[in-house]
Amino acid sequence: MLSAIGTAFVLLGLTASLAGAVSGAVALVRGQGTASMRQFAWMVPAAGLGAFVVMEIALFRRDYSVSFVQQVGSDSIPAIFNFAALWSALEGSLILWAFVLGGYIAAVLIKFSSRRNDPLLGWAMVVLLGISTFFFALMAIPANPFQRVSVAADFVGRGPNPLLQDHVLVAFHPPMLYLGYVGFTVPFAFAIAALITGRLGEGWLVETRRWTVIAWGFLTFGIILGAWWSYEVLGWGGYWAWDPVENASLLPWLTGTAYLHSVMVQERRGMLRVWNLSLVCATFALTILGTFLTRSGVIDSVHAFADGEVGPWLLVFFAIITLGSVGLIGWRGDRLRSPGAIDSPLSREASFLANNVLFGAMAFVVLLGTVFPLFAEAFDGSRLTIGRPYFDSLGRPIAIVTLFLMAVAPVLPWRKASTELLQTRLFWPGVSSVGVLALAVIIGARGFWPVITFALAGFAGGAAMRQIVLATRRQGWRGFIGRTNGGMIVHLGVIVLAMGVAASESYKTDRVFTLEPGETAFVDGHSFQYDELGADRTSRRERTFARVIIDDQQEYQPARTRYTQQGMIVGTPSVRPGFTEDLYLVLDEVPPNPDGPIRLRVIIRPLITWIWGGGILMAIGTFLAVFPGPRRRGTDPVGASTTPPEDVKRDPLLVSAFRRLRRGVA
Amino acid sequence: MNLTAGSRAAWALVAVALLGLLSFASLDTDNTVDPGERAEALNDLFACPTCDGQSVAESNAGVAATIRQFIRDEIAAGATDTDIRNALVNSYGTEVLLNPPSDGVATLVWMLPVLVLTAGVAVVTVTVRRSSGSADPTAADERLVAELLDQQRAEVDE
Repeated sequence: MLSAIGTAFVLLGLTASLAGAVSGAVALVRGQGTASMRQFAWMVPAAGLGAFVVMEIALFRRDYSVSFVQQVGSDSIPAIFNFAALWSALEGSLILWAFVLGGYIAAVLIKFSSRRNDPLLGWAMVVLLGISTFFFALMAIPANPFQRVSVAADFVGRGPNPLLQDHVLVAFHPPMLYLGYVGFTVPFAFAIAALITGRLGEGWLVETRRWTVIAWGFLTFGIILGAWWSYEVLGWGGYWAWDPVENASLLPWLTGTAYLHSVMVQERRGMLRVWNLSLVCATFALTILGTFLTRSGVIDSVHAFADGEVGPWLLVFFAIITLGSVGLIGWRGDRLRSPGAIDSPLSREASFLANNVLFGAMAFVVLLGTVFPLFAEAFDGSRLTIGRPYFDSLGRPIAIVTLFLMAVAPVLPWRKASTELLQTRLFWPGVSSVGVLALAVIIGARGFWPVITFALAGFAGGAAMRQIVLATRRQGWRGFIGRTNGGMIVHLGVIVLAMGVAASESYKTDRVFTLEPGETAFVDGHSFQYDELGADRTSRRERTFARVIIDDQQEYQPARTRYTQQGMIVGTPSVRPGFTEDLYLVLDEVPPNPDGPIRLRVIIRPLITWIWGGGILMAIGTFLAVFPGPRRRGTDPVGASTTPPEDVKRDPLLVSAFRRLRRGVA
Repeated sequence: MNLTAGSRAAWALVAVALLGLLSFASLDTDNTVDPGERAEALNDLFACPTCDGQSVAESNAGVAATIRQFIRDEIAAGATDTDIRNALVNSYGTEVLLNPPSDGVATLVWMLPVLVLTAGVAVVTVTVRRSSGSADPTAADERLVAELLDQQRAEVDE
């Protein structure tokens, strides 16, 4: 029954998307109204929601006649992990994708309902529906989650991968990530619509900039939550492994971040039109490429969903998007010539270009490192692995230069800055840099890479604080909101995160001890006393844990958990988090005889909680950046002034002309 | 905005402090590496052969634990990093190296990013240089200002 209803929703979504896209495109070409497209479009969110709800009902009813429930359902799983089981494998994750895409389609329909007859909106909706056609088609044909299957009488659901039923972050990380991925569909749709209609001014940018910021915020937070989850669950004391799935989420984040910055140049100066369009298209295309790489079985990864059937579909879709975007941009090339020019390398716009070079280069490194083993094998059969050392050695210098840019760029004015201005505005950030560096060195930080990170963090932090202080001094609490001010809070989050990464990578300690019951190990001034083994069991898992007392105070229980239905053993780390350092315990080996020695791995990572803190700060900053900022006033030190110069001020006629001219230009 | 001698001196102080602290912190490192740290560093360099791209340090798989133990034992027995690397490549093939080698087709993976970055920097430099200096008002700008002024005068006269 549920499988029939679910399939019906999938088919409704597919038909409505296709009919809407086709009827909309035909109507727009003929210059007719698009009312029927909007009716079809409203069915898509309904179908996405329907499919989502039906699958959740099937999961909670343990309806094993639905193929996906047979794959991931389980009688003994706690409710929250059962809810999250929907996105624990390929087919279900497509439901989540379609559900989120439907939500964005509904949001676009509501937000722009007053401009329903604008062809730009019409074409954007055609593109959105075209994309949802693809995702519903994936669910209808190669990866149908609602297939009706027969259930053996003694069938027992195995539940999702044990790693996905262990920690509450599983319920939040994938939805956040998808809200980010799918959110980039909206600016992409508007970019394509602008190319088709030829309205390539700044209109489409202004329509979608808030959508882009929101999508970026979700993606950022989703990535950080994923890192946090991996730290809490995977039991190696790290949070980022340069795994292909992680890289796939980082790629659109990098190009999206580049776009968020360079778009300001276009809004302000009308420049970089081709480049911004390319970045929007690339960001969306990379979400599809990432999905292809990780869902097609082309690349092995710990959290890839192995299923070869959707691979060719995704590859073809990626090719259509890429070739279509490139073709459209080439076709409209004549209308994309930018009117402005960059006046000086010491200007806000030049610094945004530098930002784009860095983020573009990093995206290239990540993409190359991810796919290169495939090419190498195809080329001469050589088997290569590319991992952390490669990404670290290329990413580190790029990150350092980016931090430096984060210090200088926010104080630069548009058009042109004098070195005197720079020296004045950067003085306090410079002092802050010395302060942070001195503090770090006094505490004991050594080594070039971490220490230069702290120095630049102080520098960039000073520059961000400068903007926030100036804005709040002028506008009170409103100085925290708006794109510029929220953006600076995002910068502060990045800086806190960067310090967390530098310290936790450079000063980590990782030791393994063989401990008899009652024995104590000492690491970096902490004591770890192993008392005894303990065990508990529930219907779905058996946990064997070691009682370890840290610093004679509290007991921690690193464990090895056997999930009975899968027969899989998962190490469950135990963490004592702290502002300055985390103590991370992993039970590496349990003796066959309970009185025997255990093997305990102790990992100490300074400042790792700063990474999560920085991520939360980035999320808060993004939230503040979404609200309209205070009206720009003439005295704003970072913007081009709309206040006429002194000699103009004396003549009211000139003042008025100056204002007009400014308005005309800006 | 003229720089006073005072602010010049203050900047000089900031620069000296930065350079001093940086070089002190970079040079004053403890060069004696204990075996635990060496093992830690090596664990990061090798892939766990059975676990899809995770490093030996990251993986909880049995073979990763075996390799971690092997590395600890080899270090204790006085092997150099190169010895350990060669031994692991002999047992598990070049795939065990997480850092791609710098010979054969793998050189590309190191060269291409450098090329792309250089090209990016070159393009930006050329863009900025070609267009800089155009900040002065052109004849068209002056005409626009004159027109606006005329309009304004006409409105005031009315």
